[in-house]
Amino acid sequence: MIYRAIVIGGGPAGLQAALSAGEAGHPVLIIERESRPGGILKQCIHDGFGVIRFGEKLSGPEYAERFIDEVQKKENITLLLLHFVISISKEKGVFVVRTTSKEGITEHRSETLVFANGCRERTSRQVNIHGTRPAGVLTAGTAQYYVNLMGALPGKRCVILGSGDIGLIMARRLTLEGAEVLGVYEAKDKPGGLTRNLYQCLTDFDIPLHLSKTVSHVFGEERVEAVEVVSVDENMCPLAGTEEIIECDTLIVSVGLIPENELAESLGTKMDAKTKGAIVDQNMMTSVNGAYAVGNALHVHDLVDYVSECAKTAGEHIAGEKREERNLLPIEQEGLLYLVPQQLDINSLKEEEVFYFRSACEYKKGELKIYRDGEEIYKKKYAMGLKPPEMEKLKVKLPPLERETRLKVVLEGKNE
Amino acid sequence: MKFRAINRIKKALKKAGYTNISVREKLGGVLLEGELEKYADVLACGRLAVEKKHSRGVINKISVAGYQEKPMRSPLINDKAHEGKTPDALIIGGGIVGAAIARELSKYNISVMLVEKEYDLAIAQSSRNDGMIHAGIDLNPNSKKVKYNMRGNALYDTLSKELGVPISKNGQYVLFTSPVQRAVYPFVKKRAGKNHIPCEYLSKKEVSERIKNPGFNHGGMFFAGAGVVSPYLMTVALAENAVVNGAEICFDTAVLGIENDGEKAGKVITNRGAIYPKVVINAAGVYSDKIAEMAGDGHFTIHPRRGVEAILDKKAGHLTHSVIGRFAMKTSTGAKHTKGGGIVYTIDGNILIGPSADETQERENNATTREELDAVINKQRELTPDMKSADIITYFAGTRAATYEEEFIVEKSPIIKNLIQAAGIQSPGITAAPAIAEDVAKFTKEILANEKTVQQKKDFIKTRKPIPSLKELSLQERDALIKERPDYGIIICRCEEISRGEIMDAIKSPVPALTLDGIKRRVRAGMGRCQGGFCAPLITQIIAEETGIDITQIGKKGGAGKTLCGYTKEQKE
Amino acid sequence: MSELICIVCPNGCRLTATVKDGKVSVIGNKCKKGITFAEEELTAPKRSVTGTVRTVFKEFPVAPVRTDGEIPKDKVLALAALLGKIKIDAPLSRGDTVIEDILGTGVKLILTSDIKSKLTEE
Repeated sequence: MIYRAIVIGGGPAGLQAALSAGEAGHPVLIIERESRPGGILKQCIHDGFGVIRFGEKLSGPEYAERFIDEVQKKENITLLLLHFVISISKEKGVFVVRTTSKEGITEHRSETLVFANGCRERTSRQVNIHGTRPAGVLTAGTAQYYVNLMGALPGKRCVILGSGDIGLIMARRLTLEGAEVLGVYEAKDKPGGLTRNLYQCLTDFDIPLHLSKTVSHVFGEERVEAVEVVSVDENMCPLAGTEEIIECDTLIVSVGLIPENELAESLGTKMDAKTKGAIVDQNMMTSVNGAYAVGNALHVHDLVDYVSECAKTAGEHIAGEKREERNLLPIEQEGLLYLVPQQLDINSLKEEEVFYFRSACEYKKGELKIYRDGEEIYKKKYAMGLKPPEMEKLKVKLPPLERETRLKVVLEGKNE
Repeated sequence: MKFRAINRIKKALKKAGYTNISVREKLGGVLLEGELEKYADVLACGRLAVEKKHSRGVINKISVAGYQEKPMRSPLINDKAHEGKTPDALIIGGGIVGAAIARELSKYNISVMLVEKEYDLAIAQSSRNDGMIHAGIDLNPNSKKVKYNMRGNALYDTLSKELGVPISKNGQYVLFTSPVQRAVYPFVKKRAGKNHIPCEYLSKKEVSERIKNPGFNHGGMFFAGAGVVSPYLMTVALAENAVVNGAEICFDTAVLGIENDGEKAGKVITNRGAIYPKVVINAAGVYSDKIAEMAGDGHFTIHPRRGVEAILDKKAGHLTHSVIGRFAMKTSTGAKHTKGGGIVYTIDGNILIGPSADETQERENNATTREELDAVINKQRELTPDMKSADIITYFAGTRAATYEEEFIVEKSPIIKNLIQAAGIQSPGITAAPAIAEDVAKFTKEILANEKTVQQKKDFIKTRKPIPSLKELSLQERDALIKERPDYGIIICRCEEISRGEIMDAIKSPVPALTLDGIKRRVRAGMGRCQGGFCAPLITQIIAEETGIDITQIGKKGGAGKTLCGYTKEQKE
Repeated sequence: MSELICIVCPNGCRLTATVKDGKVSVIGNKCKKGITFAEEELTAPKRSVTGTVRTVFKEFPVAPVRTDGEIPKDKVLALAALLGKIKIDAPLSRGDTVIEDILGTGVKLILTSDIKSKLTEE
């Protein structure tokens, strides 16, 4: 039995990809390593999900369960839980995926593969936090698991490093559950999360935000007793003499997400050093024919609504009959932190194509232009400003493109 | 001890400017007393007082003005759990040396008890080193260290098979850092010959063929006898086998005092009661000098020496599949007591870099600092330019139990008749442990011979069934094992691919692991790139399910190292 | 004059709101919702609240809930404390009401993850 698609990961990206890939009734398999589907959304009990997708402000579980319910209705979609992929290979054009589960080692075969395996959190060891390694140092996602899925509190007096969304959400969550959040520290000179989260998670609860500061040292042998914070310069290097000791019993580290791509790499998939995910075309297909990457495995999203979108794109492409040879055109860019997709398959261009990008810097006003062979073919103004933590979506009507075309996206910004 | 030796030391100290230090003989060693401004000077005096021929050791009691030594980390618990116990042999210290001794002694018809002040085995040096099974080349060819190293090295193959602890012997490269060093090879070869250490000269061409992009290439040497092991897993395996053969291993038990009448050690006072052993075995690592003193034969002092190491992602495994270090001439002042570290391909496929070596006054400070890590990275990058610091997934520090003689103390005490010391064991302690254990067993038998006939147990179980590493098995073997036990098929630690079954095995093992770090040391869950981010809550739940312990009482470490402080929604009045 | 961040949608528009003669005027909003938000925020701020409550079910010991709408901001901490007193003992479905009227606000507290289906898992 050869599936039309094997989707690795049963979170929002994988669920949507499977639904779209199985739209025409082809057999689709979702492999999920946890005991329940839904991915990280299971523990994201806060709301704000689905504003774009459903026009409603849902919590993570609600958003995920809409897709789970749909998947469970579809007879052609098989969902395997507590199955873990141990190897992937491509043999004679067919993907062979091996899993381990309580049934043993199983081999599954499919025509296409979708990497929807999300990301992991950057650890305290990756941001140069030194000192001891006591209990009480944990990443925000792990803290979220303890609080929201196990009903347990990881600490009573917390310092949070990192002003990304997860850190901000946890600052509020911990406060509501009876812990004291002493402050949120951010190494950059600008906060990392969505502006509205700064407001409703920190300002609402009088939790101070300290910019250009980082945690350098942890004290405490068995349990955290204190942390040392230090001011940093624009290169995030500590400034001697600015050290300050803060007594606390917990350090929550929220310093970024890293797409999980060990599996994709094992297949030889080409990666984008900026997104840390696969290089894809507008159908979310990677450099390996028939292998797609969607969701946070592709690049770290701010909104799950966009995760569902790109998953839908991939799934639709899988369900469609036209999957011939590709003609890939790389897209150059300037002024962006990154752009997805990084290349276009000009054989399957649609009237309108969707791009996602992050600005390289914060601008009060920005202008994005697309050039074809040096000629401007698209322009969009951003009067409300752009910043790296907030991913933008672009819908562009592209003219016909040829193999030799030079396509370039340029973002210019101003700060007056 | 010869009068002349004391005088020589007095002269040497005066010559170096230390005029207010008293030097006298004690217990056959040299006792230094006085007060100095800086610790560096205390060390210098200690080194000047080394007298290998006529002295049993330097007892350095010189204090540093204004410095108060930190008290030994002691467990919180205080009860009489071990009150009145009378083991034949009491081993103090649960590192690899103590565990190896316990296993060795458990081969005999004697009662064996091991006390460890921490919550688990291998908490200090034994889990903070590069896991090397040393070739022995950088050791003084006439030293005790090298004798135990060579014997231990030879015992490792059998030990590995018996205890189910994997080892690999991929040798060690030592690169010359300047062309002039090549001339030294004939001396190295001769030196190696004294202890039958296989060695090979490598030309520049051979180095470039065998090592990818070396930091310097002026030729080098290869020592085939070097290898790697997981030092904490070996410690656990030795201890488990000892327990299976009747030994008792007690955690959270610190020795606070030993009553001795100048001839025999009697009552051993711990925070969990008084123990009355027939034989006391000192394997207390960084505190082995304190234990020796308590027992009445404190003829040496430990001067702790820190080391910091970093572990790189398995992705960096292409850097080497062996060990690479650089050649370092031993200076006459003996200031360099480490080969400068290098890079090691660990038994698990990670790359380990380091260690550094810095004298310290603190015996148990395992906090790392950015400066130390940066120094390690910069140093190793010279050796291996392809190394990427972005591949570092974790770093740690440890403290070596170094005597001033920089030598092992493995002896039956000539003063306290029932005291055996396996003290001052630093590198190559991991390699030497099995050999040290054999000698300690011999001494133990000799001491007990007066009281009972010590014989080998006929029913000694010499093999240990290891916890299977599912990931390492062939697909068929793995499938078969899962069919027998489905829990082996469910992956909990996704970075290292560790199953629920393996974690359950660690919880139920002969020396049970009930903490996240304990499980990590036994089955590696939590050692991967996410450093336990995904699996810590799952493992906490598994421990709770398997033992009935409430999740809020389960810790990363023992003692106060609980992961959770309570349930949510505890009312804030 | 107040600087506010609109929290209605991910845009997080930076608003500048001025109250003059009891009337609120807003600039910086990308849509109408921003005006309503600014008005409320300055006069009677409201928040939606999400949290968890305990259940009696071993398979799902902690269940997520949220307010079906917004409650006055000054009642948020009281609601958080109230959640600690609730223990769901029936196999409710996603969307079911857990509290009919939160602290007299008229706003419901609803379950955001299905309990019933999780109990019938093997």
